[in-house]
Amino acid sequence: MDSLSFSSESDEDNLFAEHKKEKKIVFGPGENFRKDIPVLMVRSGEEKHPNDLLLTRMPVPPVCIRPSVVSEVKSGTTEDDVTMKLMEIMLTNDVLRKHKRDGAPNKTLFETWEHLQIQCALYINSEMSGLPPDLQPKRAMRAFTQRLKGKQGRFRGNLCGKRVDFSGRTVISPDPNLRIDQVGVPIHVAMTLTFPEIVNASNIEKMRKLVINGSDVHPGANYLVDKKTGNKKLLKYGKRDELAKNLRMGDTVERHLDDNDVVLFNRQPSLHKISIMSHRAKVMPGRTFRFNECACTPYNADFDGDEMNLHLPQTYEAKAEASELMNVKNNLITPRSGEPLIAAIQDFITGGYLLTHKDTFLPRAEVYRFAAALIDAFAKKQTKIRIPPPAIRYPVELWTGKQLIELIIRPDKGSQVSLNLTTKNKSYTKDLELCSKDSYVIIRNSVLLAGVLDKSLLGSSSKVNIFYMLMRDYGEDAAVDAMWRLARMAPVFLSNRGFSIGIGDVRPSERLLKEKGDLVDNGYEKCAQFIRELNEGKLKAQPGCTEEETLEAIILRELSTIRDHAGQVCLRNLSKYNAPLTMAVCGSKGSFINISQMIACVGQQAISGHRPPDGFEERSLPHFERKKKTPEAKGFVANSFYSGLTPTEFFFHTMGGREGLVDTAVKTAETGYMQRRLVKCLEDLCASYDGTVRSSTGDVIEFVFGEDGLDPSMMEAKDGSVVDFVHVLEHAKNTQKKKKEKIEPIALAKIEEVIKTEIEKKFKGKYTHFAQQTAEFLQSEVKKCKKWENEATSCSKHEKSVGNCKLCNNMQAYKDLLKAQCLTRPQLLSFIQLCYYKVARAITEPGTAVGAIAATSIGEPSTQMTLKTFHFAGVASMNITQGVPRIKEIINAVKTISTPIITAALLDPFDESLARRVKARIEKTTLGEICDYIEEVYLPNDYFLLVKLNSKRIRLLQLEVSMESISYAIIQSKVCPLMRGCKIVAHGKTIMAIRPPSNSKLSKTMTMQMLKYSLANVVVKGISSVNRCVIHADEKKGDYYSLLVEGTDFRSVLSSVGVDPKKTNFNNALVVAEVLGIEAARTCIINEIIATMDAHGIGLDRRHVMLLADVMTYRGEVLGITRNGLVKMKDSVLLLASFEKTMDHLFEAAFFSQRDVIHGVSECIIMGTPMTVGTGTFKLMQKYEKKAVLKKNSPIFKRPELALSL
Amino acid sequence: MAGIIFDDIFKVKSVDPDGQKFDRVSRYFCDGDSFKMELIIDINSQIYPLKQSDKFRLVLATTLREDGLADEGDYDPKAEYTRIKQYEYVMYGKVYRLEDDDTGTDGGKMAAYASFGGLLMRLKGEAINLHAFEVDMNLYLLMKKTDY
Repeated sequence: MDSLSFSSESDEDNLFAEHKKEKKIVFGPGENFRKDIPVLMVRSGEEKHPNDLLLTRMPVPPVCIRPSVVSEVKSGTTEDDVTMKLMEIMLTNDVLRKHKRDGAPNKTLFETWEHLQIQCALYINSEMSGLPPDLQPKRAMRAFTQRLKGKQGRFRGNLCGKRVDFSGRTVISPDPNLRIDQVGVPIHVAMTLTFPEIVNASNIEKMRKLVINGSDVHPGANYLVDKKTGNKKLLKYGKRDELAKNLRMGDTVERHLDDNDVVLFNRQPSLHKISIMSHRAKVMPGRTFRFNECACTPYNADFDGDEMNLHLPQTYEAKAEASELMNVKNNLITPRSGEPLIAAIQDFITGGYLLTHKDTFLPRAEVYRFAAALIDAFAKKQTKIRIPPPAIRYPVELWTGKQLIELIIRPDKGSQVSLNLTTKNKSYTKDLELCSKDSYVIIRNSVLLAGVLDKSLLGSSSKVNIFYMLMRDYGEDAAVDAMWRLARMAPVFLSNRGFSIGIGDVRPSERLLKEKGDLVDNGYEKCAQFIRELNEGKLKAQPGCTEEETLEAIILRELSTIRDHAGQVCLRNLSKYNAPLTMAVCGSKGSFINISQMIACVGQQAISGHRPPDGFEERSLPHFERKKKTPEAKGFVANSFYSGLTPTEFFFHTMGGREGLVDTAVKTAETGYMQRRLVKCLEDLCASYDGTVRSSTGDVIEFVFGEDGLDPSMMEAKDGSVVDFVHVLEHAKNTQKKKKEKIEPIALAKIEEVIKTEIEKKFKGKYTHFAQQTAEFLQSEVKKCKKWENEATSCSKHEKSVGNCKLCNNMQAYKDLLKAQCLTRPQLLSFIQLCYYKVARAITEPGTAVGAIAATSIGEPSTQMTLKTFHFAGVASMNITQGVPRIKEIINAVKTISTPIITAALLDPFDESLARRVKARIEKTTLGEICDYIEEVYLPNDYFLLVKLNSKRIRLLQLEVSMESISYAIIQSKVCPLMRGCKIVAHGKTIMAIRPPSNSKLSKTMTMQMLKYSLANVVVKGISSVNRCVIHADEKKGDYYSLLVEGTDFRSVLSSVGVDPKKTNFNNALVVAEVLGIEAARTCIINEIIATMDAHGIGLDRRHVMLLADVMTYRGEVLGITRNGLVKMKDSVLLLASFEKTMDHLFEAAFFSQRDVIHGVSECIIMGTPMTVGTGTFKLMQKYEKKAVLKKNSPIFKRPELALSL
Repeated sequence: MAGIIFDDIFKVKSVDPDGQKFDRVSRYFCDGDSFKMELIIDINSQIYPLKQSDKFRLVLATTLREDGLADEGDYDPKAEYTRIKQYEYVMYGKVYRLEDDDTGTDGGKMAAYASFGGLLMRLKGEAINLHAFEVDMNLYLLMKKTDY
């Protein structure tokens, strides 16, 4: 195309002739190519001619590609853009021909030609750049390029995502009576969605009934497909009885969706794999989809009008796969961190908390009422519920609420479920179970013995959750059933007890008001004091800050403590029956800050981490005096929501509110794009049978997934290791019942031997590292039993023979009691068995799409991060970027990050003076900072600059400078070109005279002035790019010093004397790769992402981040997860085209005639073939080749009898 | 009587030393008369209030049956036990932990922990007095105020 647009420099008269000539040059005489053009192109191994790139005929698509729309309003039709363009091209072509025939002036001819050329180009791409303004298309038109590209384009809109049948969408609502894995489907939806059931011997009777019911009665069918003829019959009308009678095996009945059908349930945005799960349908009246509230968290759903989608899989294979892999039961845990996501929420937690409260006593009628809530009328097998004996027998029979928890965990007597758990809950203080708040939870053999259940035991994101423990020890069904029972009992209990909120809950008491008033007054007074200090110039600036900034930091800290203290005052003064307080304590909803804001004090309003800025002239609002810095003039809201805000407070509050809204809007867009990029880069990585992680092309990304091959969702311990040994031991001890005839504990002398051989027997040399950990734990545990062996059986008086004195008897009893607690052999065996089972189960399954899981695990939590960018990193005044912007920076592999910080470790971290010296070496020090004055001296025959150094200051800063080094620095300095020729003479130890070069082109005065001003900026010591260097003392370790360097010169810092290069880190992976190599960059990426996530309290398994870092570095350079990085990682055209720059990739692929093997996930989706991860990993190794016999088609218009007679 | 594993008279030393945390439950710290046992016990103060320096007799038994046969921990609402009637306050629960309370002196001390549906009891003293305690055993607690 391009070669047809020629230069128009030649003479107008000759223009047309010129064109003709050039055309001939390009195509040669006639259709023969010129052979003498040297070879310019080789593609696909073939020698190609540039002529092949020229379009000699216009491609015209059939009308189905460019349909014309018949308008109902006005007459005629609306034609497609492509048709319109084609019409225009033909018209212009005719005009050109007419001009040629009529001998129009060359200018007109040429213009028409050019017009035709542009129209042809616009036919392909209507957004072509570089057109003269008058030739640009008037309105946007959808040419072929526009059809392909963009979100709604062919690739992303129709090939990567398709519209589907057999799906439904409606509003959702909660229903705690439904099982966790059920979804309530309205009858109307159930009658529209169908499943093609194939009639066989076992279901033929049922199918007959469905056919008879037809399409208007619920368990019915909409269509009947005959096996032989393939005819599809509508079952709405006609003789259904007859059809049912003639139903034969192999016919297909498109029956209505019915109870227990496997359906997929989904809520957008589908950010992680648990946004789509398979449920069991439960057809019920009503118009909404309903599900148990426990399943809200993975979907991130609430019931304020949310809508969700439902899909009905259409084959038995799809059903099986959905119910095995995507079932709610199998997705209780998020693979992001291995924590449970599906757990009790809100009222269920409140209910559980209040139920297990120490002074909840229930009479028999209530206990029976609550126990009855656990009966499932729809269960296949009804079981008896065993009520435990009342805790208080006499004078009245009273049960405690804790006794009902046993019913939730294990209602029927025959159940084998025996849960054992000992843990602290949210508000634990001290003294184990005797904690005054009853916050030490002990569950033994499914009986709750002590402690109240709160969010950490019932709610999500906690590995001591009782449902999680049930799942780990007894499987998903036990967990899901228990959760359902809580969901049934808690609302019944709560509605019986009553739990409500009213104005009285937020009304502060006199005392509270007074205490809060004192707090605010004190805080204000302190702030006023600081402001006074600033005005008097007494305020000491923090390192690297101006005095103003220091004041802001101090005041902000002071004011935020006011709110915190006000919150504590609230906590002290509120009654324990206060509903918001109860909810905050048990963790079901709201926090202490929320309560404090309602009752006491809303607190400081911050806009991007600072107090509200001066939007008006020198003041934040026109209600205040200019330059006022008091708390109330800078956005401190001292009132509570109950007492009401003053107008100014209200304005400040809206400022903060607005920022929040803007943040959310910006954040969703930003993280959405980030997620898309992450997924595109990582989607095809999958664990293979040899344990490696490979991309679809077979590149090895990791030799072992996560360096240990373990599945992150199987990590049981809180600290992220596979097995929680303490828990497993407790479990083994309690489940391995002691027989009546007491089994002797293993003798201490033999025990180490026994442990060793038993572990060896079980593990058989597999998982060596884990086996060793198990052995170590057992050894340490066994040592605790030592006491029993060593204990004497007699008192000190009767050394040898066991006497019959009281003391001796006591010792004997003591020893017996100790013995009963020691580990027995069955317990030991059971423990080892359990550990082995758990670790074997935790190995990543081959085929797992670890890449996609890692991508979503990183992308999904970023949406929850508040965009509040800055966090104080321990040291005052040193900011580091956090949150979404930081993650974005790391993932994009940005060269210049916004806050580069080098954490320099010292050779002796406990030496503070060393820290000061190293700081002086690294931090940039200019001459101006260390001299008293720089003076111009003019003598009759001489002129020079006199610099007096401040030796006291130099000593104070421990600067390692001398007159020589300073002189050298001045001469070497690039601040001013004049310095090179200076003559420097030192006088004494502090004074130096600098004579400017005599050959200066400037006047002498000018030279002196220039020198004087630039001398102050000469860097005499330190790294010029380092502006700030702060000594950081570790809070936990006390006198453990390190340096925080603000700058990018990693190499210089590493090579500074006194810095320990082995432990020095930098937060820019690209620079680290350059200085230390690619492995160091990988570690840097991992640590930075984990640190950022940690700062936001997001649990993220290290293995996911490792995989991401590996993908970013496996090519030997740090590649960003951007369109530029992606091109270097993948070579599939379809993948790249479906990502960004669709047309560029397609043109390039066409130019080089690239091949695409269709292996990756995106390519397979586009082609509609099963992909090569997960259950698609399997291939038929031997293919039975059956020669396809293809009949050659003859097109209809080639047939002579149909040919047009011309 | 059969099935009794502990019997002593206690005196209430202090009530809710950390302040009253629950409306209906109070924690009592008591000292035993004859065996020098320390007792911490949660009691429903609404139905059975105790004051400081009150004295009471505490009986711990494995069963309520007169014949001393162990019950299986099943609840029979119709069953009536004559033993109950002799006391003022009866609770049912489980011993869940026996802990070595080593103070270093001659003669080992143990602490037995029991939970009566969340109302906790800790009985601490010389091991000989706790020799009949077993972990996971059912336990009945019977109390009655005494004057001497």
